[in-house]
Amino acid sequence: MTKPGQDSFLLFCKIVQVISESRGTVRKTDIFADYLSGLGNTSDIDRAVRFAGEGAFSSVSGKRASIGSRTVALCAAEFCNIDYDIVFKACRTATGSASETIEKLMDNIPEAREKRTPSALSLAQVEELFIQLEKERKRDAKQALLVRAWEQMTSTEIKYFIRVMGQGSLRIGFEAKSIINAVSKAFSSDTEAVRYAHMITGSLGEAAVLSFENRLHTATFKLFQPVAFMLASPIESRSVDHITDYIAEEKFDGMRCQIHAQGDTVMLYSRDLNEITNSFPEVVAFFKQKSLPGVVLDGELCVFTDNTIQPFQLLQKRMGVKKPSPKMTGEYPVVFIAYDILYNDDEPLFEKSLINRREILKSFCDTFGIMRSRQFEVKSREQVEDMFDRALAHGNEGLMLKHKQSTYEYGQRRKSWLKVKKPGGSIDTVIMYAHAGSGKRGGTYSDFTLGVSVSEDDRYEEEFIPIGKAYGGYTDVELKRLNKEMKKLIVDRFGPTYSLKPGIVVELEFDDIQVNKRTKAGYTLRFPRFKAIRWDLAPSDADTLMDVEQLYNKKLHDDRKPQSEHQSFIGI
Amino acid sequence: MLNYTLERNHGIILPNQNIGLDVSGDVARHVFVSHAHADHLPRDRYIHVYATQATARLMRARGFKGDVTELDFESPLELENARVTLYPAGHILGSAMVGIESDEGHTLYTGDYKTPPSPVTEGFSRPESVDYFITEATFPLPIYKWQPHEELFAEMREFAFKALKEGFTPVFLCYNLGKAQEVMHGLAPLGFTQQIHGAGYELCKIYDELGYDIGKFEPYSRDTVSDNRILITPSSSLDQPMLRNLKRKRVAYVSGWATHESRRTQLTIDKLFPLSDHIDFFELLDLCEALNPKMVYITHTPNPRVVSHYLSEKGIASRPLNMEGFDDD
Ligand SMILES: [Zn+2]
Repeated sequence: MTKPGQDSFLLFCKIVQVISESRGTVRKTDIFADYLSGLGNTSDIDRAVRFAGEGAFSSVSGKRASIGSRTVALCAAEFCNIDYDIVFKACRTATGSASETIEKLMDNIPEAREKRTPSALSLAQVEELFIQLEKERKRDAKQALLVRAWEQMTSTEIKYFIRVMGQGSLRIGFEAKSIINAVSKAFSSDTEAVRYAHMITGSLGEAAVLSFENRLHTATFKLFQPVAFMLASPIESRSVDHITDYIAEEKFDGMRCQIHAQGDTVMLYSRDLNEITNSFPEVVAFFKQKSLPGVVLDGELCVFTDNTIQPFQLLQKRMGVKKPSPKMTGEYPVVFIAYDILYNDDEPLFEKSLINRREILKSFCDTFGIMRSRQFEVKSREQVEDMFDRALAHGNEGLMLKHKQSTYEYGQRRKSWLKVKKPGGSIDTVIMYAHAGSGKRGGTYSDFTLGVSVSEDDRYEEEFIPIGKAYGGYTDVELKRLNKEMKKLIVDRFGPTYSLKPGIVVELEFDDIQVNKRTKAGYTLRFPRFKAIRWDLAPSDADTLMDVEQLYNKKLHDDRKPQSEHQSFIGI
Repeated sequence: MLNYTLERNHGIILPNQNIGLDVSGDVARHVFVSHAHADHLPRDRYIHVYATQATARLMRARGFKGDVTELDFESPLELENARVTLYPAGHILGSAMVGIESDEGHTLYTGDYKTPPSPVTEGFSRPESVDYFITEATFPLPIYKWQPHEELFAEMREFAFKALKEGFTPVFLCYNLGKAQEVMHGLAPLGFTQQIHGAGYELCKIYDELGYDIGKFEPYSRDTVSDNRILITPSSSLDQPMLRNLKRKRVAYVSGWATHESRRTQLTIDKLFPLSDHIDFFELLDLCEALNPKMVYITHTPNPRVVSHYLSEKGIASRPLNMEGFDDD
């Protein structure tokens, strides 16, 4: 049995707040473990662990509260009786967090205090609120539900209610790995078994329940239940001791996908374990027609026409479209290229080594005519460079190096999978904002918002607009000088952020340019970082938004080598 | 309208009265210094200024070499074109608001101020009403609302006591003039000796000599700091050997900015205490209403727009008084 009061949402929030204020993962883990061991039934354990690590709903449930952050913010501004554009936005800029802003306003504004009568909701009652939000489709009805929920909460509960609702981590420096440790500590289970149960079930809450009930051994893989993905780490110089321990594959410029298939049932899952089956009907049809024995494949979705892998930008047109029209699937046809096999012949294959899995994948794909990536033995570092150049010529992003003996484990497993990528390009930008840094850079301004010029651009009234935020690529000495020079340019301050006059030019390197309609520029850069601080240049030398657009279009129409020789994959 | 000019990057000049407020040098006949924080002190160390007695002492301790005419609070000084009165501002010891009465009306310049006042200051008082109110607004948003000093002091004592009991040195990161002495006053009832780093020690002696209770204190010493002492030091020392070498420590950050949770990860600290020596948003609005001025001029602020928005709802006119390069102490 759960102790009286132990199942209250307020207690959960207080524990989470203490965790956020504690330093060191061991301390955080102990606090959460201690809290969990006071919960006496499976439902509350499921809720507490899920709220802390997954969100309102299990990651694999496909359910979401589906309420945008802007709707939440507008609703909070109205609740607090303040002007959204003038007051709320300024507060959010100062704190850098909408949920923290709302917590403070709920505390400070008399009207917002008067509207609320905290009523010690239980975890179960809060879950019920999430379920109601999920079921409700209309925005104003969702807002009414939010208001009714907040009326019963303290400001801290409101803050975490909003964060849990947003799905994913609570952003308190307490991530899945620590939660797994806390679960295993609370219920005296083997950490490795909890971790495995999490990978298999895709749900932290579920893993915690199995741990509590001493049933971790029953966590077995089931078809049509996605498995958390294994991820690659960026390669760092000298991080590889024996290059010949690895095999190489070209890194496709596509979208990661897990396919579960058996007979005419086929399901597709994205990297965050969402089901995306309906978005790619041509892929589903392809696999249905093969009538496969039960199998799980890990691989990449790519737009493929004219015997050529097409740029990611074209695939983007398909992403998020729930039911694409025949015109769309005709124009941007998508294929699935397999590179790993996780289940076959009623047997999970995670624990087998990569070369072992690879043998199974090869014979499976060749039997059924499924595309699979080509693998190359690595004999020397020089050879890696040749393969890398060929991958780029194919329009791919670079190379993947995979350790031959590695098992399939979710998350980033040190040096098991490594990615080798090439910068997409660089542009000259000006620093628009400086943000106080975190971690070892605390106290200095180490994060920067960079802008491109639009002064000659009729679509904008500003001189510069933001194009990206970067926080690395400079030396300590350069950072010191930046901080000094920046002081002369300060025009405004919002909490930990300074607004600066254009004065410092930075050559910004990035991996890729993407269309993003929600930003002012209409484009975002992938992984922007400092290449050089151009003290020799003036703001008038900065590149313009038009330049960015040109780069984007060039990338889109760059020649790509077709797959007629030196193929990236087999089985077209 | 108030007749004023801004001195680049620093203070305000009232040309018709020939008065300079927190200006950097000899730019007006009568220069007033509101308090001894660096961003309000004249850069020219040899000019003649008016200030309170405590401010004069603190200024000299911080290297000011010029001539100071010391003024008492609330005893008017008659100048050729104005009558000037200093009011206790509650910000740090000696801090004063400057009231200027002339045939152009009654102007109140706040410098930095805090009401309810910090307990280690001369308190807070003000004229009934004014025509022009020149106010700082360091914390100009409704997310800023301060807890009472006593509540925060109690939490700080608990933090320090628990750390000491568990064998850790409690470290309070705070600005060394004003905030440091406020923290020491709050911790004094614990009875432990507090060590203060560097220049802060000389400033503490002035507080002590003027009769403010800041507990037992001594200069920082590497040999004894782990010996049941509390360490008071500016946050800039976080990366310096003094703190790096102190292995068993619990670190608290004391500042109005500590209200931002992001400060926790930015500074790698154990505890945030949002103790401010500036007025909060709500107190500022109340005060503007009570003074009922014809115009509020907002200075030293990251964002005057929100304050103006609320003042206009109360029917009070306001405008930003633009100054560049402000600091937050
Ligand atoms: Zn000050």
